[in-house]
Amino acid sequence: MGAESGETLRGGDRGGPYAATVRWMENLSETQFAYLLLVPTFLILGLIAFWPLVRTFDMALHADALVGRAQLGEYVGLNNFVELLTGERDALLVRPLLPDVAVDATFPFVHFDNLFVSAISATLIFSVVSVAFETVIGFGQALVLDQDFRGRRWVRVAIIIPWAVPIVIQGMIFYLMFQPGIGFGVDLVQQLPFFSFSETPLANPVDSMVIIIVADVWKTSAFMALLILAGLQSIDRSLYDVARVSGASKWQQFKYITLPLVFPTVMVAMLFRTIAAMRIFGVIETVSGCNVVPSLSCLVVTTFSNRMYGTAAAVAFLTAAIIGALVLVYIYNYATSGQEGI
Amino acid sequence: MATETPVDDEVDRGPFERWVRRVIRNPERAYRAMFYTAMIVFLFTTLFPFYWLLVLALTPFNRLANVGLFPNGFNPEAFVRIFEILPFHIYMLNSFILAAMTTVFVLVIASLAGYVFGRLQFPGRGPLMLAVLAISYFPPAAFLLPLFRLFNGNVTIGLFGASISSPNLFNTPWAMVLPFSALFMPLSIFILTTFYGQIPDGLEDAARIEGTTRLGALFRVIVPLSAPGVATAGVLTFIMVYNEFFFSFLMNDGQIPEMLYESGKLLYLSNENHWAPLLKGILGFQGQYTQLYNLMAAASIVGVLPVAVLVVVAQEKIVSGLTQGALKE
Amino acid sequence: MGRVTLSNVTKRYGDVTAVEEMNLDIQDGEFVTFVGPSGCGKSTTLETIAGLTTPTSGTITIAGREVTNLPPKDRGIAMVFQNIALFPHMDVYDNVSFGLRLRDYPKEEIDRRVERAADIVQLEGMLERMPDEMSGGQRQRVAIARAIVREPEVFLMDEPLANLDAKLRVHMRTELQRLHKELDTTIIYVTHDQAEAMTMSDRIAVIDGGHLQQIAPPLTCYNEPANLFVAGFIGSPSMNFVEAEVTASGLLTRDFDVEFDPTQLSEIAEGDAVTLGVRPEDVYLREDRETVANPTQPIPARTDVLEPMGDEIFVYLLTGDGDAQMEIDAEAEAPQNQLLMSVDPASDVAADTDVEVVLDRERIHLFDTESGEALSHGLEFATVEPGRTGTEAEGDD
Repeated sequence: MGAESGETLRGGDRGGPYAATVRWMENLSETQFAYLLLVPTFLILGLIAFWPLVRTFDMALHADALVGRAQLGEYVGLNNFVELLTGERDALLVRPLLPDVAVDATFPFVHFDNLFVSAISATLIFSVVSVAFETVIGFGQALVLDQDFRGRRWVRVAIIIPWAVPIVIQGMIFYLMFQPGIGFGVDLVQQLPFFSFSETPLANPVDSMVIIIVADVWKTSAFMALLILAGLQSIDRSLYDVARVSGASKWQQFKYITLPLVFPTVMVAMLFRTIAAMRIFGVIETVSGCNVVPSLSCLVVTTFSNRMYGTAAAVAFLTAAIIGALVLVYIYNYATSGQEGI
Repeated sequence: MATETPVDDEVDRGPFERWVRRVIRNPERAYRAMFYTAMIVFLFTTLFPFYWLLVLALTPFNRLANVGLFPNGFNPEAFVRIFEILPFHIYMLNSFILAAMTTVFVLVIASLAGYVFGRLQFPGRGPLMLAVLAISYFPPAAFLLPLFRLFNGNVTIGLFGASISSPNLFNTPWAMVLPFSALFMPLSIFILTTFYGQIPDGLEDAARIEGTTRLGALFRVIVPLSAPGVATAGVLTFIMVYNEFFFSFLMNDGQIPEMLYESGKLLYLSNENHWAPLLKGILGFQGQYTQLYNLMAAASIVGVLPVAVLVVVAQEKIVSGLTQGALKE
Repeated sequence: MGRVTLSNVTKRYGDVTAVEEMNLDIQDGEFVTFVGPSGCGKSTTLETIAGLTTPTSGTITIAGREVTNLPPKDRGIAMVFQNIALFPHMDVYDNVSFGLRLRDYPKEEIDRRVERAADIVQLEGMLERMPDEMSGGQRQRVAIARAIVREPEVFLMDEPLANLDAKLRVHMRTELQRLHKELDTTIIYVTHDQAEAMTMSDRIAVIDGGHLQQIAPPLTCYNEPANLFVAGFIGSPSMNFVEAEVTASGLLTRDFDVEFDPTQLSEIAEGDAVTLGVRPEDVYLREDRETVANPTQPIPARTDVLEPMGDEIFVYLLTGDGDAQMEIDAEAEAPQNQLLMSVDPASDVAADTDVEVVLDRERIHLFDTESGEALSHGLEFATVEPGRTGTEAEGDD
């Protein structure tokens, strides 16, 4: 048998730069090869994420250039941040459509005189309330999906579908529902005993906030349900047999086995969802507009649209910083809970 | 023990009370009842909005006022009108192409990264994975301004004395595909890392002995064997891009190419390379045709259909992918 | 041609040295087996030949070409893996032809070679099966066919039979030998099973601790082990080892003497600590000593445990003063006063009886206790028995 010409790769016979490249790559050490293959990933992430993050901070240190061709004014240090946080920038920021709602509003975010702080609180209130409801409802959905029953597959599809609905359509659904004249929602909420909605809820910050929270809960509970379901299904079933033999009722099994074992999963899921919820923008834009419920991302876009690039960058950077703090908590959890996943 | 007394009681009590008594004696029934109640409530709340969209879409325009829970008449014409008033199909097609481009792009790059993180040992692996993880959580708003300037040709780089302006990508697919890729690549990387990591080393060695390069072994053996994982990452990326709002909203001006043909000849073309996605189509109805609620509803239904089909077909993949991406990593 | 040379090949992983200064010269058409305990570096050595790992230093040549830094695909090798490693998403034909298709061979040529390979490993009519539809033995044949079809200069086999059941393993052993005869290609075979190594190879390379201990034909390794490790590793059951001291009149062990003239062996001097090694089949009952040309003095011992194997009986003996207590040295693996003897099944040995045994002088091995190196194979020259002159010259080489 011995040496045959066939044993050299035909591809190698092509010669030229192709073969040279292949040869070069094959001779890299494992570490070099790993870094080489990561180049495209970090090129994209660098261009679209790391570089903009740094640039945003740099832009935030410059004044707005409202006139002229230049997009950014002179270097002003932390002035943008200071003015945002003290409320001095408010005169230039967009006001809610109904500034007087502050008088009788029930939600704290409109009480603030400072618009930036009110954007933070609007975002926080939205995130905390919607994540709380999503967790409870998602838990319920997960418990239902954890059962064995005929047609489970289809029930699961039905529960997941809202997750897959484009945000703009999600917004459109709730926009139409609460549109005076056609939406049944307006009549419905006005009959609610404990909470008085205005006749044009989509123009009212507080009413809109409630509607947007409902819209978000409708769409994202399914995501929460899937995460919790995964937690439920990782519980060793024989534990329930042990509990039954010891005479535990269903409720006791839930309380002493299911809840404690699924708790870490729920915490991770809640943190994960809170981080995502703080980016809220699309639903607001579609349902009632950023003027009505100014979230942090809304504030970035509106100041950006008004060519206040310095201010917009400062808001964007503060938004990133607030979320970044939450991300740190998440990463800390991830790093300390062992990395066996990867 | 309790079997003697209830016989009499049941005669003179209503069916509900009888049921309650039985439930108290046999809690399993109560749980069963709770289970079915919960299931029905969940099904109703998730599906009712779609039903109501359908009601709205089928109601003729002149009878829209105070439409109830049933359509006021039957007018399927709305589903045709949406393609006539606006070329809604072009917006949808754009979204499809953008989603498909991003998916292919993400799968190729994430395959390389998944291979590295899943199969290679090298210093810096942990920190690099954390960097990928961290970036996926940042709000797109934090990236918007520099990217907007970059894609509008307002960023210049000094190179060998000459300054090069960034290409004007606003409105083109790249102004959206690049941000989408960065946004959704981390999830795919984590999914593929898990799948690629599970392929036995022997198979990769065998492929290399048989004559593939390291990259050849990845694309000829590891990727095909991880087909379910690749499909999961692909389906999720596609859906998430199709659903994305922020960059879809801000990285184009909502225009699509306008063409005027006469007897097969192109007479007029403007806005070429304007790739407004589905989102701008839907918002187009909301902005320009403020009263045509039935068309907004019809467009929404048509817009949801593709992802609804995907969910039905690929629900297992979606479930496993989402839980893996969020919990395992 | 398929000659494989390793010079000074060293492989380190961080602080761990897997292979150190390995030198090997494997001839074209030779069947060489790397054998050693797990973790000894035999698989790493094979991987450096395959190109799956690059050695830290040293060079490798295959067929006269230096391949140290070439990727596996360019080395003219084929490999069969322990876990068989068939591509589960391809049928037999696609698995076998994978390497040829990668090299853009014409379809007819691929078909011809696949058919021939299938014929050699008796897989005709199974080309369309998927790997998960086949038995372990069939899958192993496919893996071998995948290697054959490439007509490589060197076959590498990494414990290819380890995952098969015992019966199939013995069967495949003969198949591989037949294959080697038929193909006449260099085969480098890795195993931890010394029976495989003994039965199939032209030469055995015994590896331990990343070092080559001995490379020689199987019987040489068996009869003239280069050191204590090879002596203990080759042969089943293992060789008996007894610590001894060199005296003016021969060897003194704890419980018996072996008389010979130490001046005949230049490697040793009076007072040296040596290890005496003798295989179980070279220990005889005193009444059988007529069959041994050159026995030692009778050694008193007590039988402990008998292991009848059918064709022979293993007898565990305890030497020493009738006190049948095993003395276990914390350092050594076997008790110092235990001797294993293999006797004919017809012998009427019984457990727990006092016997006398003799050793075959010509089959006694001496090792330097400290370095482990072999000093001598056979002590027949030193006998003081009359009528046995002229044997001195024999063992002195």
